[in-house]
Amino acid sequence: MSGILVFLEQRDGMVRQASIDLWNRLQEPAAADAERQPLSGIIAGPASTVGIETVLSGSCTIYHVSSDLLGLYQPEQYTQTVAELFERSGCSSLVFADTALSRDLAPRLSVRLGDSLLSGCSWPSAIGAGTCSRSVYSGSVVASFAAETGRRIYTISSQGSSAVPRKEGAIVIIPVDDLSGDTTRASAVVQMIAMTAARPDVSEAGIVVAGGRGMGSAEAFAMLDELAGLLGGAVGASRAVVDQGWRPHSEQIGQTGKTVAPRLYLACGISGSVQHLAGTGGAGTLAAINSDRHAPIYDVADFGIVGDVHTVIPKLIKEVREFLKKK
Amino acid sequence: MKIAVTVCFVPDTASVIDIVDGALDHSRLNLVMNPYDEYALEEAVRIRERHGKGSVTVFSAAPASSTELLRKVLARGADGAVLVPVEDAIDPCQTAMLLSQAVSGFYGDVLPDLVFSGKKSTDFQSEQVPVMLAELLGIASVSGVTALKETAEGFDAEREIENGIECSSVKLPALFSVEKGLNTPRNVSIRAVMEARKKPIEIFPAGLEGKPHVRLIGLEPVARKKQCRFVRDEKELLGVLSDELHLL
Repeated sequence: MSGILVFLEQRDGMVRQASIDLWNRLQEPAAADAERQPLSGIIAGPASTVGIETVLSGSCTIYHVSSDLLGLYQPEQYTQTVAELFERSGCSSLVFADTALSRDLAPRLSVRLGDSLLSGCSWPSAIGAGTCSRSVYSGSVVASFAAETGRRIYTISSQGSSAVPRKEGAIVIIPVDDLSGDTTRASAVVQMIAMTAARPDVSEAGIVVAGGRGMGSAEAFAMLDELAGLLGGAVGASRAVVDQGWRPHSEQIGQTGKTVAPRLYLACGISGSVQHLAGTGGAGTLAAINSDRHAPIYDVADFGIVGDVHTVIPKLIKEVREFLKKK
Repeated sequence: MKIAVTVCFVPDTASVIDIVDGALDHSRLNLVMNPYDEYALEEAVRIRERHGKGSVTVFSAAPASSTELLRKVLARGADGAVLVPVEDAIDPCQTAMLLSQAVSGFYGDVLPDLVFSGKKSTDFQSEQVPVMLAELLGIASVSGVTALKETAEGFDAEREIENGIECSSVKLPALFSVEKGLNTPRNVSIRAVMEARKKPIEIFPAGLEGKPHVRLIGLEPVARKKQCRFVRDEKELLGVLSDELHLL
């Protein structure tokens, strides 16, 4: 039994970038054991598959259940559909990008199918070997796990949030009828409200501009909004900022917030508590602006400017504007 | 309304996380109720108070020595607790199985109307147990709830997804795993602490069949310290990020 089945998450009929990056990464030479295993995909819900070979690498088969009932994420329908397709596919691994959807769906499938679940795995994980490592205890420790069953389910964290180049190939789409049965006891998602579609979510952004208590006020975050907007990034916040009510909890980064993995993390007026750094371990480069040269954030930062955020950030915005003009 | 709340215990923020020979050194850990579980319990207590009747029972799979920690949980407004003693390391699925046995055993043939859990524990952050428990109990569930409204038929729930909010309608019985921000947990009064001493803690000896699905192989400390390069001004920072690192 071998083969990797990748869940390609769709929203509003489009396969999400997190799934596309995961798929393409699985076909890179670095994912050596994945190369020996054939890849196939699942799309649940109505989605346009025209031109999908222009974003997904390699040659493969994609099972597409285009039923309208699966347009929004319906936990029970999705569980039944994916469980059935995993059984039919004969694959030994089912792989998800780590998202709000897969964090709900994967544990259901694990119980229903009796397969082990390795969640939040950091890349590269040895999918063939059935092991996974990820950070625990506020990012101060890395734990390694081994799956004890023949079939395994993985959710894999994004890395660096930069697009992965694709390789040429041919993709065959196999339409599949709705596979779900009785769903009377299930919860039903009735609506999805999209927010600020112009901005990436902080958990998926390639650049995160995060503010801490040192920003001083909710109003001061307008600077960070502007900077993030210019850089095509998202705004993040420390716990203190969210507890003050300056920013919504959806932007909180850290132990009781989100874990981010941008290529650049810009920490503005953040002292760098262990609880905050629990969420930033995946950042590629960390730059910090803080008036206190001895702030703990500088222990984990690659670059730093010692100064008041209220003077440094406006100047930085000016520099970014000039840089973008030249670009 | 019968409400079950699952809780677990995690090191507090002042604990020293030290790895000795691939295992966690427990000597400098101070355990507290998992922060997410505080929101779960608070929501349960508020619903019971709103209805003016019903019960809130706390379930925990934890070492037998956890009764003092459970007293502190009871002081937050629960009516009683059920402890499933666990001494060995178990995986999330086994934790869910033990909790499922305890919940079914405690309530008998009729499941509780509601089950509340914290969205995740702050130590291992697997984020698996609540949904697995719902699955084992065969009830509906919503993960990471940020808003909850009682309706004629059950509850309307909201949860955060990437760049959006998912709104669900849920019939009872149901499990909600709770995100930070759903409510603000109350302060515990001295009186509540005194009353908690008299509340019942039942020991439920549940048994595990079979082996764990997932085994912890080892723990390794992470060295996160970096040599920070302090730049002169904004211009230099931007130069480094764009020309040297090509990040922009």
